[in-house]
Amino acid sequence: MIEVRSLKIDYGSPGSAVRAVDGVDFTLDRGRSLALIGPSGCGKTTILFSISGLLLPTEGTITISGTPVTGPRRDVALILQNAGLLPWKTVWQNANLSLLLSGDYPKQDAGAVLDELGLSEVKDRYPAELSEGMKRRVGIARALSTAPSVMLMDEPLASLDTLTRERIQDLFLTLWRTHKFSLILVTHDIEEAAFLGQEILVLTERPARIKERVENPEMGGLDYRESAAYTQTVRKLREVLEK
Amino acid sequence: MKRTLTYVASICALLFIWEMASIAVNAINNAPLLPGPFNALSQVVKNAAELQHHFLASAWRLILAILIALATGVPLGLTTGREPTLDRFLSPIIYITYPIPQVALILFLFVVFGTGSGTKVAMVALVLFFQILVSARGAAKNIPEEHIISVRSAGASRWQIYWHVILPASLPDILTSVRVSIGLGIAFLYIAETNAALGTGLGGYINKHMLFQRDRAFAGIIALALLGLILYLAVDGLERILCRWKYVSRRAR
Ligand SMILES: Nc1ncnc2c1ncn2[C@@H]1O[C@H](COP(=O)(O)OP(=O)(O)O)[C@@H](O)[C@H]1O
Ligand SMILES: [Mg+2]
Repeated sequence: MIEVRSLKIDYGSPGSAVRAVDGVDFTLDRGRSLALIGPSGCGKTTILFSISGLLLPTEGTITISGTPVTGPRRDVALILQNAGLLPWKTVWQNANLSLLLSGDYPKQDAGAVLDELGLSEVKDRYPAELSEGMKRRVGIARALSTAPSVMLMDEPLASLDTLTRERIQDLFLTLWRTHKFSLILVTHDIEEAAFLGQEILVLTERPARIKERVENPEMGGLDYRESAAYTQTVRKLREVLEK
Repeated sequence: MKRTLTYVASICALLFIWEMASIAVNAINNAPLLPGPFNALSQVVKNAAELQHHFLASAWRLILAILIALATGVPLGLTTGREPTLDRFLSPIIYITYPIPQVALILFLFVVFGTGSGTKVAMVALVLFFQILVSARGAAKNIPEEHIISVRSAGASRWQIYWHVILPASLPDILTSVRVSIGLGIAFLYIAETNAALGTGLGGYINKHMLFQRDRAFAGIIALALLGLILYLAVDGLERILCRWKYVSRRAR
C-alpha cells in the first residue's frame, strides 16, 4: 500500500521557493492502478519523483508498505519519458542495470523478462539501433527485472505514434495484470489515463492539488477502449480538465 | 578501395606542394634553403637507426605526458563538472591559471626536474592537463539529467553514477581533447626538447641540424609528423572500441 499524506514540495531555497505540489493526498492499495493527469508543468513529475525517493517532500509524508520513503528503493521502479536508456550500454546491459547496481547481477539477470517482452533477439544491440517502441520495451524490461511491487511511470509513451502507443499501453495492462505490481502512471493523455487507471486523479495547474477523483472500475480488459464505460470516463475527464 | 585512393592522392598532393614550395623558395633565394620531400625522405632512410632512437625517446615522453594529463585531468574535470561546490572552489583557480602560458614555467621546471626527460614530460603534461581538464568538465556539465535520474532511481551510488554514466557519456569529448592534445603536445615537446639541447628526442635532433644539414632536419620533421599520425590513428582505434555505441547508429536497424 502506498500512502501519500498532505504532500507539499517546494523548489528553490526557502526564501525564494516555488511551490510545485500543494497538499496532495491519496492511498493506493497493493496491486491497484492510479493515473495522475494534469496540464504540463503542474507538478506531476515532482509527485512521482518524491514517491520514487529522488526528491524529499518539503512537508507531508509518503510511505510504501508501512515504511517512509527516504530514498530510491529496490521494490520501486521508475520508467521515464524516453525510457531512460543509456546509449553506451547494449540492450542486455541496460536491462540488467538495476540488478547490476544493486549487486544482484549476475546471480540474477533480466533474461526471462527480455524473453517475455520479445527482446532476446536484439539483446546485443545498442539503443540507437532500436525503434522507439523497442526502446520503451527495454525500459520496461529494466523496471521489471527487480520484480518491483510498485511501478512508477512518467509519461512513458510521450512522443510515440498512435499505433505504437496503443500497443505499448496494451502491454502495460497485460504486465500489470500478470506481475501484479501497484501502478502509478503520470500522463497528460486523457485516453491513456482512462485505459490504464482504475482511479484517476485530475490535478490543478501548478501548484498541483487534486481537482477531482474519477473512479474507473470497469477498466482492465484489452477491449476496454470499445466500451461505453471507457467513452464515459474519457468524456468525464475532458469535462473536469476543461473546467 | 576508393578511400585508399583518396588517401594516396592526398599524400601525393602534399609532396607536390612541398616540392613546388622548395623549388620556389630556392629559386627566389638562389640557394638551396628548403630541401624537397625526396631529399628529406632519403635522409629518413639513411639515418633510420638514429632517427628511430630519437623517435622512441620523443614518443614515450609524449605518451607518458598524455597519460599523466588524463589521469589527473579527467577525474578533476568530471568532478568539477558535476559537483557545484567543488566547481565554485576550483573554477576561479582554473580560470586564473589556464591562460598563463605554461611555457613561461619551463625554466622553473628545469630547476625542479633537471635537464633530463622529467622536465620535458612535465612541461607537456602541464599543458595537456588544462586542455583535458577543461574538456572533461564541459562534457560532464552537459550530460542530460535524465541519464542521471534513470540510474539514481535504480539506487546507484555516487561512484556508480560516475562509472556508469558520467565517464562513458564524457568519453567521446575526452578522446577529442586527446586528439587535440597530440598536436599541442608535439609542439610543446619540441619546445622542451630544443630548450634542453643535450640528450635524445626529435626536437633536439631537428634543431641541431636546421642550420647546416637542413635535409636531415626535415627528416626529423617527417618523423615527428609520423609520431603524430600514429598516435592519431591509435586514438581513432581506441574510440572505435570504447565508444562503439556511437558508430552503430549508422548500421541498418
Ligand atoms: N529542479 C527544479 N527547480 C525549480 N523548479 C522546478 C524544478 N523542476 C520543476 N520545476 C518547476 O516545478 C513545476 C512542476 O514541474 P513538473 O513536476 O516537472 O511538472 P509536470 O511533470 O507536471 O510537467 C514546473 O513549473 C517547473 O518549472
Ligand atoms: Mg513531467
